[in-house]
Parts: sequence; structure tokens; C-alpha cells
Amino acid sequence: MRLAWEFFKRDARIALSYKAAFSVQMLGNLLLLGIFYFIGQLIDRSDNPMLSPYGGSYLAFILIGLALGDCAGVSLTTFAGQIREGQLTGTLEATLLSPVPLPVILVYSSLWSYFLSAFRFVLYVGLGALLYGVSLHQANILSTLAIFALTILCFAGIGILWASVIMLLKRGEAILTTGGFIVILVSGVLFPRSLLPGWIQTLAEFVPLSHALDGMRLAILHGDGIGELGAVFWKLAVFAVVLPALGFTAFNRAVTLAKQRGSLAEY
Amino acid sequence: MEAFASDRSCSDVRSAHEKALVVERVSKEYGRSLPLARNAGGPAAGAAALTDVSFSVGRGEMIGLLGANGAGKTTLLKIITTLLYPTSGRVLIDDMDVSASPNQVRRKIGLVTCDERSFYWRLTGRQNLSFFGALYGLTREQVHERGESLLEMLGLAPAGNERYQGYSSGMKQKLAIARGLLADPAIVFYDEPTRSLDPLSAQNVREWIRAMRASSPGQTHVIATNQLSEAEQLCDRVLILARGRLIAQGTIREIREAYHAQDHELHCVTYRGAAFNGAIAVDPGAGLLAVEDGEADASLRTLRLRTVRGSDALSSALQRLLGSGRIVVRCDTDEASFDEIFCSLVLRDHESGADRLPQVTP
Repeated sequence: MRLAWEFFKRDARIALSYKAAFSVQMLGNLLLLGIFYFIGQLIDRSDNPMLSPYGGSYLAFILIGLALGDCAGVSLTTFAGQIREGQLTGTLEATLLSPVPLPVILVYSSLWSYFLSAFRFVLYVGLGALLYGVSLHQANILSTLAIFALTILCFAGIGILWASVIMLLKRGEAILTTGGFIVILVSGVLFPRSLLPGWIQTLAEFVPLSHALDGMRLAILHGDGIGELGAVFWKLAVFAVVLPALGFTAFNRAVTLAKQRGSLAEY
Repeated sequence: MEAFASDRSCSDVRSAHEKALVVERVSKEYGRSLPLARNAGGPAAGAAALTDVSFSVGRGEMIGLLGANGAGKTTLLKIITTLLYPTSGRVLIDDMDVSASPNQVRRKIGLVTCDERSFYWRLTGRQNLSFFGALYGLTREQVHERGESLLEMLGLAPAGNERYQGYSSGMKQKLAIARGLLADPAIVFYDEPTRSLDPLSAQNVREWIRAMRASSPGQTHVIATNQLSEAEQLCDRVLILARGRLIAQGTIREIREAYHAQDHELHCVTYRGAAFNGAIAVDPGAGLLAVEDGEADASLRTLRLRTVRGSDALSSALQRLLGSGRIVVRCDTDEASFDEIFCSLVLRDHESGADRLPQVTP
């Protein structure tokens, strides 16, 4: 725990030392909330049957989509980001010289990012409820937390897999951006998946965020418990086991290759 | 191969349990890049960075790893410190193979690097030490106690709460020393510890290294450096790498003696009289390799002779000089400096090909 805390403190101190950037980032989050409030006002004027399973409010729908999408996005980027930053700043080799196994370093280096993501989750959903009347009174806390945890595991697996690629290729922002757009498109972050063509909906079955969003919206807006969300939990659980295992296997392999090639700290 | 054989004979003197570091026939050749990573860094494919390097370091020793730029010093340090895999051979630290047990090995080593970028610039000196101390499993109390003691010794305590980005080069290097020694490692590696420092700061750092060594006599130190005077001041033994090969190892005195034993001498004869004008000719068979006659001042001349060590060439030349009526005022034999020996060894390796070079390992 002490080591985890030291990583958290390190990243928090560095992030907070850039006071202007940190404040503007927080302001940006609030502005985003405002933008989607007005889009919600527009859409909620028409009674949309596609939103009825989620309580009928687009603002509630989109806020949960944004919050969970943010968490998935952080998982996708934070691990590769830490590797890349360590390579660029020159601290990667100094860290890797310690007796702490690399996967542990990778996971602990993500704690601050996850803390911020959880903060934004609470900010989006909480301010949506406080300022704009999004109803949370039916929310099932246990299901919400369980889906949140499974979502993190799933996307952390993909994120670590991605970090393996970055370890070897060094740069891959374009690939990640494109992949991110595909995930946003097919998983229903911004709109219900029922709007999409059938074949894309089939494709969405293989994207864990699709199931996570369904489950999270039903847990928060419909009050569904773990029993009622059984199918969602099973699918997420399978992803949550397979993807991190794949991620760590690929990452260990990538580190071995980098150590053979002598490119560990190259950027 | 010869270096390895020599090292074995050397190590026979030391019993196995005294060895802190053993490098056995380590070679490193960089393989082909991944297809999509051709331009993503890493050394050139197919390049042999190290070839059959072997040596051992006894506990408590301080050895210098010398070599020109690109000789393979950093590659060797990276292999020893688990950051790079060798293509063949193995490295043992306290009898543990660094490739098989990297995490256990890392508990025993510390690296003092000259790379200023290896710290977090937005954190203070103390915050940096606290983070790296935690990585080495130190408790808060241990980090505080040891960290403060090191900062105090290095004169960094007053600046400990300042951000690293505001440190001078000397302060950054001192913090690197503090980090390398923080976990009290069994072996400390220094990668060019005074590279970017002015002469005064460099001397200070050397003094600190010497002081640290005196305070922990059981600690082993390996210093990779381009500063030969640094190696002369600090190290018990030196290893000289050229083109990835170990071309010499031993104490500086041993290397100097071995060099002279198989090499040439330069004599400078100062005499009074007319110029020789080629009266003494080069005769390699008799051990006279070069002759150069010149004017020293209005009344004296100098005759420079390069002879094979142990030959009669100097004596013959002096006899002819005296026999012709000239008066010998003085005769000096130059002792090559360690810098000259180092350059000569490295240049000969580059010119002749390492395979044909005689090993000067004592």
C-alpha cells in the first residue's frame, strides 16, 4: 500500500504542479456538462422510445455514457501514456532498475488517472442530479460499483495490451484515436445502439463498453440489481478475465523484446 | 577468449564467495527490428556491441570501466543492471544470474547515472528520494534517516525541498549519487558520474565517492568513465573496452608495465655538437625503430630515439654519438602516461583488428 501511495502522490504532485492546466481541465469538464444539458433539453422535448429503457431522459443517458466512456478512455490511454512519458522524460529506466516488477509499476502508475476518472464520474452524474434534476433515487449502488470495477478491468486489459504496442512502436496516437472513435460509435456512448445498423450492433457485442454502458444505465436509472443484470455481468466478467491476462502476457513479451533490442528507453 | 582465460587465472586468487560480480563471456549483438518498428529507435541491427567479455569484481573493489565512445561501456552496464539481455554469456551478482532473477538482483544494485532526465523535475529532491526509496522497499523511516544522512553528506540538505528543475548540474549529480546509494546496495554502478560537471564539481563528486567508499568498505563500485584521471584517482583496477572487446584489465600499474613490457621506449638524448644528419639510421632488426634529430637551443641538440624495449639500440646510438666527439648532456627515457597507453591500445585495436592484438591482461 505504501508503494501504491507513493506512486499516487508522485502523479498527483506533478499534475497539481501545473496549476493552470489542471484548473482549465476541470473547467472543461464542467463546460462539457453544460453542452450536453442543452442538447438534452432539445432531445428530451420529443418523446424518444429508444430512451425509454433508460428512463427516457437523454441527459441522464449521455451523462452515464460520458462518465463510463471517460473511465474506459483512461484505461485505454493511461498505461501506454505512462510508458511513453517515462521514455520521453527519461524516468522509465530509473524506475525499471528498482526491484518492483514492471506490471506492478504499470498498475500503480495508473492510480492517479483512475482517481481523476472516478472524480469525473461523480462530477458528471452528481452535478447532473443536483443541477439538472437527473434522477438517481432508483440507483443500485452495488451493481453500479460492480460494473464500474469490471469496466476498469476490461479496459485496463486492452490498455495494457496497447502499452505493449507502444513499448515497441513508440508512437501510435493515430491508431488509438481511430480505435477510440470506433468504440464510441459502436458501443452507444452518445446514442442508443438500437439506432445502429444490425451488423454494427453485432460487432458491438464484442466491445465490453457496450455491455458496461447497458448495465450501468440500467443499474443507475432503473435500479437493476446484480441478479437482473446477470447476462451483462457474465459477459463483462469473461472480458475482465481474458483481456487483462492477454494484456499482461503481451506486455511481458514486449518488455522481453525491448530488452533484447535495447530499445526499452528509446522514444 | 584470452581475456577470459586471464580472468580465470586472476580469479583463482579470490575464492568464489568473494566475488560480487562475475561477467562470463558476455556478447551482445542487436537483432533485426520488428517490421513496424524499423525507425522506432534502438541500435542498428546486426551490430556487435559486445564480444566475449569476461571479468570478475571482488567484494569491496572499485573498478573502472574505460573505453572510447561507443566501446560498449553503457551496453555492458545495461546488461549487468538487467535493462538489456545479452545475446550469449551470463552475469552473476552475488551468485545470482541477472537474467534469471532480475528482481532479486535489483535489490542488490544501485545506479548513479549522469542522465539528468532520470528524475522527476517537478518534484523536490526529497520527494524524488522518497519515491525511489519506496521503490526499493524502504520504509518511510528508512528513507528519512538514510536520505537525510546522504543529503547532509553531499551538502544538499538545504536544497532538499527545492524542485529538482532548479538544481545546478552539480546538485543533480549529487542527488543521483544519493539515489544510487539510498538503499545501501551491495554494488554501486556509476555511468560517467562527472561527465557534465566543471572541474571543481567533478573533483567534489570524486571526493564524495571516495568518502562513501571509505564509510562502506564492503560495498563494491563499478565506474564507467571516459575520464582516465578519474579512474586513476578512484579505482583499484580498470577494464579497457574497445569495439565491444575487453582489451586490457588490471591495476593501472599492471597495465602500464604490461604495455611497456611488450612495447617500445622513447629516449631523448640531449647533446652538444654538430647535427648528426642521418649518421644513425633506423634499423628495426637491431631494435632502432625511429630517429629524429633536432635543435634544442643555440648550443644543444636533441636526438629522439624510439627503440624496442630491452634491445641494445640505445647503447649503440650513444656509443656512436660519443665516439664521434659529441658530448652527451643528458638522456631521458619517457614513461608513457596512462592517457597515452589508453589511446595507443584503443587505436591499435581499431587499426589492427582486435583478434590479432596481444592481450595486455597481466
